[in-house]
Amino acid sequence: RPQKKIAGQRRVLDEATRQRRLTRQLEALEKDNFQDDPLSSLPPPGPTARLPAFSETEEPGKRKTRGDHFKQRFRKNFTALLEEENLSERPEPNYLSAAAPPSSLPPRHFCCVCGFPSHYTCSTCGGRYCSCKCLSTHRETRCLKWTL
Amino acid sequence: MATLVLDNGAYTAKIGYSLEKVSVIPNCQFRSKNSRLKTFTANQLDEIKDPSGLFYILPFQKGYLVNWDVQRKVWDHLFGKEMFKVDFADTSIIITEPYFNFTSIQESMNEILFEEYQFQSALRINGGSLSAHHCFHSKPSELCCLVVDSGFSFTHIAPYCRSKKLNHGIRRINVGGKLLTNHLKEIISYRQLHVMDETHVINQVKEDVCYVSQQFYKDMEIAQLRGEDNDLMRDYVLPDFSAIKKGFCKPREEMVFSGKYKTGEQILRLVNERFAVPETLFHPSDIGIQEMGIPEAIVDSVQSLPEEMQPHLYQNIVLTGGNMLFPGFRERLEAELRSLVPAHLPVSVLLPPNPVCHAWEGGKLLAHSPDFDEMVVTREEYEENGHCVCEDKFDI
Ligand SMILES: [Zn+2]
Ligand SMILES: [Zn+2]
Repeated sequence: RPQKKIAGQRRVLDEATRQRRLTRQLEALEKDNFQDDPLSSLPPPGPTARLPAFSETEEPGKRKTRGDHFKQRFRKNFTALLEEENLSERPEPNYLSAAAPPSSLPPRHFCCVCGFPSHYTCSTCGGRYCSCKCLSTHRETRCLKWTL
Repeated sequence: MATLVLDNGAYTAKIGYSLEKVSVIPNCQFRSKNSRLKTFTANQLDEIKDPSGLFYILPFQKGYLVNWDVQRKVWDHLFGKEMFKVDFADTSIIITEPYFNFTSIQESMNEILFEEYQFQSALRINGGSLSAHHCFHSKPSELCCLVVDSGFSFTHIAPYCRSKKLNHGIRRINVGGKLLTNHLKEIISYRQLHVMDETHVINQVKEDVCYVSQQFYKDMEIAQLRGEDNDLMRDYVLPDFSAIKKGFCKPREEMVFSGKYKTGEQILRLVNERFAVPETLFHPSDIGIQEMGIPEAIVDSVQSLPEEMQPHLYQNIVLTGGNMLFPGFRERLEAELRSLVPAHLPVSVLLPPNPVCHAWEGGKLLAHSPDFDEMVVTREEYEENGHCVCEDKFDI
């Protein structure tokens, strides 16, 4: 099998890169949408057309909220709000301390191509595979060129 | 005076007056490819004839309310003349929030309820506390109860003793229905068909075909069988939103085990995906999330509490939230707990008839309980004392 020769030429991803890849995969699982907002993919409006800028519009006759300060406070994302809470200085229990600790059970391994239990680890990226067939699919698709 | 109960979830709002029945309504806005200029709010989703490529605008991020513009649009719609026609000056609201909600979100909540909408009075409370109330109300002899709430954003394990929340025992697992749908989308897109833009469709696939396995490795073996011996295999016919409005599983007798279908429908073949996806709730580390799964986290929670409470908690575990609708969830959890918990302690896991609306029903019961008037903050009290009166009274 030509694997040995190829292995000699193949780049091996270091631990930090592998971790970054995993983090990116897990972040992708948090996304609300994969595609772009259909509104933003419209062609640019003509000189007279006015797009309803989402979340900026105040319908006429609606009760207005208080000043800019108030509005600002309603525009923070999760990370900003979490930082603002300054939980590391606050007494427990809190949002951070409530996170379930890591499992004490041994990790289970599944083929990253077909999802069945796997016994082998890709020497390049650390991904798991179950058979030669899945390994070659993995190398052709994701191994060094992960795209989601 | 009327009481409006609103279990304000990150995916759906469970809403209704305490004397009426509950409605489950999307707590978000949508945009669609075919009417790109229009933004659809909450149940206006039903007006979208072709929801392929449906774009979601959600008020919550990681389970916490961050986009108030969207939230207020949804609430304006829910409270307004098209739906609940709320007479704010004469209405009390019970509204839910996540455990350990951030201070600034709690304050924004007070401002919006009392200053913007001007409700006559309000009770802000954790959804799990409403479920616990439900439990203590229907079984007054129980001392403790452990609420397992697995929803869109995450899963919480929350112990209660004599209707008091035990904050030290609360555990959060960052696995919820959104992550499961996205995971299913990702593996289907890699293995057979690009469906990354089809959250709405694949969420339906998840609800239609996924289940919690009782013998995980045995099911993995069956899933590897070829042809008709593989009785876990499902062929799912995707909707095209013209002839096929809603996806469905091909009946067994119409399945083509080798070769192609000649019917021209678009088909997804689902095998190990059916149970490997919900398995993430039991083993988050399967996909690289270094957290305990639900059974282990329950034991971790209970063991952090006084020993005399522990037997009472194990024998009164209540399941709430949309993920409890996966067939087999209760049985699997009970079996795993049985093997983790000391043999002399009874284990009992209860699945309410409607796990999605269980908290709402608890809120409905609470609205009619004699303690209710003592629990709310009135607009007058808020105007006089501001946030502190809410902080004192509400246990978030
Ligand atoms: Zn494989
Ligand atoms: Zn690799």
